[in-house]
Amino acid sequence: MRRRKRLRFDNQPDELILNSLVDIALALVIGFIVSIPLFFESGIFVNAPGVAKGKAGEVSDIKVNIHLLDDGGILLNEQFVTYEKLDELLPELLARSIERKVIISTEPNVQYQRVINILDLAKQQGAGELALLRIRK
Amino acid sequence: MRRMDNINILPLACVGLMLVLMMMVIGPMIMTHTQTPVDVPKAHTAETKIEENITVTYTIDSRLFVNDVEIAPEQLINAVTSELEKDPYQLVVIRADKNVLHKDVLEILSKVKKCGAKRIACAIKKSDG
Repeated sequence: MRRRKRLRFDNQPDELILNSLVDIALALVIGFIVSIPLFFESGIFVNAPGVAKGKAGEVSDIKVNIHLLDDGGILLNEQFVTYEKLDELLPELLARSIERKVIISTEPNVQYQRVINILDLAKQQGAGELALLRIRK
Repeated sequence: MRRMDNINILPLACVGLMLVLMMMVIGPMIMTHTQTPVDVPKAHTAETKIEENITVTYTIDSRLFVNDVEIAPEQLINAVTSELEKDPYQLVVIRADKNVLHKDVLEILSKVKKCGAKRIACAIKKSDG
């Protein structure tokens, strides 16, 4: 007659070791908290468009006035600048401004992504307020 | 009467964790209206927090949605105004495709401002680079 082996439970610990579980759970939660902004959309606050009569900057006394051209050119306070130069000049200009307001106007065929790039750059360089300007012709 | 020495909290912890993770994922989906597929521009700056908002979506094929409901362009003011009546301080998010013309987005922004929106933001996808 075959003898059946009896399982012995004598070596089992009395308490569950929860340390590893807690570590994994915490790592999961932190991972989610960090990665959620990458999965969900965020936004950049803008001032709704005002309307300027004539060309941008003509009746403006604001120090940071950016105008985007259809051909990819950028005008900073009516001076041609490259994107890299704009990156350099923006902090200096914003440091002199009390309101740290950046006004952006564009020509009719400028893509939205280009405007967002400029808004993003301005915010990164310390702009307090962003305003999009609509030019009345 | 036999007393239990330890309470087994393992299943409780697992269920709790799953609930937390589910809430973290589902919560923003419910509060925001991002079901309409749009290739929003990428940016490093992310100012807005996840909160209940009015979402105006503008697609590459010039279709307009308010809170994921398609509307005609002339209905935009009425649709946003009726949403803002519930809470005038509600955030209005403009979700526009990155390839649309900026003048079209400005037109939408202008109409949203006319409705009395006090907080307006342009939707972006945070770039990790």
